[in-house]
Amino acid sequence: MRTQRIVWQGIQSLGTNKTRTFFMMAGTIVGIAALIVVVAFGKGIETKIMEKVETFGPRAIMLIAGGGKNAPPDMTVTTLTLDDAQAIREQVEDVEIVTPMAWRFRINMKYKDNQNEAVLWGVEPSWHEAWSWYAVEGDGITDQDIATMARVCVIGQTIKRELFGNSNPVGESIYVNKVRLTVKGVLEKRGTSPMGGDFDNRIIVPITTAMRRLLNVDYVGAIRIITKDTELMPQQIKKIRALIHARHHITPPEEDDFRIASPVLIARMARGTSRTLSILLIALAGLSLLVGGVVLMNILLISVAEREKEIGLRRAVGATRGDIHLQFLAESLTVTCIGMFAGCGLGVLITLILKQATKVPITLSWEPFVLSLTFALMVGLFFGVQPARKAAALNPVEALR
Amino acid sequence: MIEVERLEKTYSTGGLATPVLKGVSFHIDKGEYVAIMGTSGTGKSTLMNILGCLDKPTAGHYGLDGTAVGSLDDDALSSLRNRKIGFVFQQFHLLERATAMRNVMLPLIYAEEYPEDAEEMAERALTAVGLADRRRYRPNELSGGQQQRVAIARALITDPEIILADEPTGALDRKSGLEVMAIFKKLHEQGRTIVLVTHDRGVAEHAQRIILLKDGRVAEDRAVEERRDPDVELNTLGAGEDDG
Repeated sequence: MRTQRIVWQGIQSLGTNKTRTFFMMAGTIVGIAALIVVVAFGKGIETKIMEKVETFGPRAIMLIAGGGKNAPPDMTVTTLTLDDAQAIREQVEDVEIVTPMAWRFRINMKYKDNQNEAVLWGVEPSWHEAWSWYAVEGDGITDQDIATMARVCVIGQTIKRELFGNSNPVGESIYVNKVRLTVKGVLEKRGTSPMGGDFDNRIIVPITTAMRRLLNVDYVGAIRIITKDTELMPQQIKKIRALIHARHHITPPEEDDFRIASPVLIARMARGTSRTLSILLIALAGLSLLVGGVVLMNILLISVAEREKEIGLRRAVGATRGDIHLQFLAESLTVTCIGMFAGCGLGVLITLILKQATKVPITLSWEPFVLSLTFALMVGLFFGVQPARKAAALNPVEALR
Repeated sequence: MIEVERLEKTYSTGGLATPVLKGVSFHIDKGEYVAIMGTSGTGKSTLMNILGCLDKPTAGHYGLDGTAVGSLDDDALSSLRNRKIGFVFQQFHLLERATAMRNVMLPLIYAEEYPEDAEEMAERALTAVGLADRRRYRPNELSGGQQQRVAIARALITDPEIILADEPTGALDRKSGLEVMAIFKKLHEQGRTIVLVTHDRGVAEHAQRIILLKDGRVAEDRAVEERRDPDVELNTLGAGEDDG
């Protein structure tokens, strides 16, 4: 009870000088707001990255034809072959699946009067497993299809809707690039890609059929490799790179005619600039908390000097040193706590505005609020102790003089 | 009530010892109205600080209401001040931003038990000093005399054993000063022990007894033969002056 009364004295003295109180909490407000924004920002980006990695496949390595860092995969580079896939299968240890793919991005197809434009993939049976993407109606691509260069296809949900509406497509024939293919299955629904593309607007055919009958090529666009153990991935990537270098007669610093993507690289690429921004914002948050704390401490120290008489009087009417200490500490802690709430509010506001104004993924979560409370209390304590100690140490006789 | 025996106080600054009180002895009984008098530099402020438990003697004995003050630690002294002493200062020392009520109630904050009827107690104390109608006023809305009366009400609220007034009229004009002295007179008549510390013989003569300090020693300790009566003087001042 007595403690409560003394704490209340500290809180009350904040109300008496609102400008001073505002400046005391300004640093905390900015610091905490920055903290909220940066964490929301980082969380959002991390979620997006996880999504990308999940889509990509956490255990997957992609060997893509064509050099360069970010060039979109195309089918104009002719150097990656089925033999490369076979070589990887034979020479790289602890890989579960090696599955080559050939594709064309825009290909026309027709069923009766209905037409559609979609992405065509030539795949091996292991493709289903490599992407965990199976046929939900009919069957997937089989070894038999590969061996016989079968004129069959498996279609995505969008194609099924566009060409067949509600009727059953399995067993029907469609024309793709004027080649007649029998629909042997329908792929399960995958939805939208992180990039915004439609996963379900695709058609898969046996890779032999694709290369010989549809695309007329003797090379592939990419090889997907699934490792048995993600721990081994770095060595496996090294090995694959060396192997392809040898097979394609490339000696660094000569430019590669392929590139390798892995979840780690995908994540690193996605983090890229956001990381710099996050570090900057964290630095801003830290700096404003520090500067805010120093300002808080100085204002409190000035206020102790200004209120010497008040302190002396309180001591005369019965306040102990501890009581004075508690009063000033309550004052600084209250300031930083109010500053924290204001900062949280401001941070949430900025986050919501950013979310509206930009396409940056932002996720609000509870963690930064707990972090804020911790930081606010730490700043309040750390920078409040010195003034409180000074106030408590005042000799009442001298303070009252 | 107050027992002071061979009290000494020596300040040492930079290795140089300055004796301020050099063996002061006196007793003050309950209900007495005593003035401690002396010119500046005679140690009366030091004596007041010791009597008020704000400072401790270097040697000698100070007993307050049966407690040997010299052996107490800082927290115990704080508690003692809170329970047994009511201070009245020359400069009033009111909290500028608090109302008269809140100023009067300040000592209760530091009491062990916060009385349930704190507000009524404060109102009673303000009534005792004639300021019941000013309880919502802040110090800057009150005259100097009124501020000092609020300070007296604050000293009264804990029902202390002694009221220790340090030059209580020093910052006031004559009429306000007399009004303050009239309150002390009334409080004394109600049985309170009052110790007045002043350099002014005119003020000291309101008390029953004067202890005169000179050079850190009691030079004189005698009853006042012709006590001044503030009520009589206020009457003769006439009604023409303000409340200043």
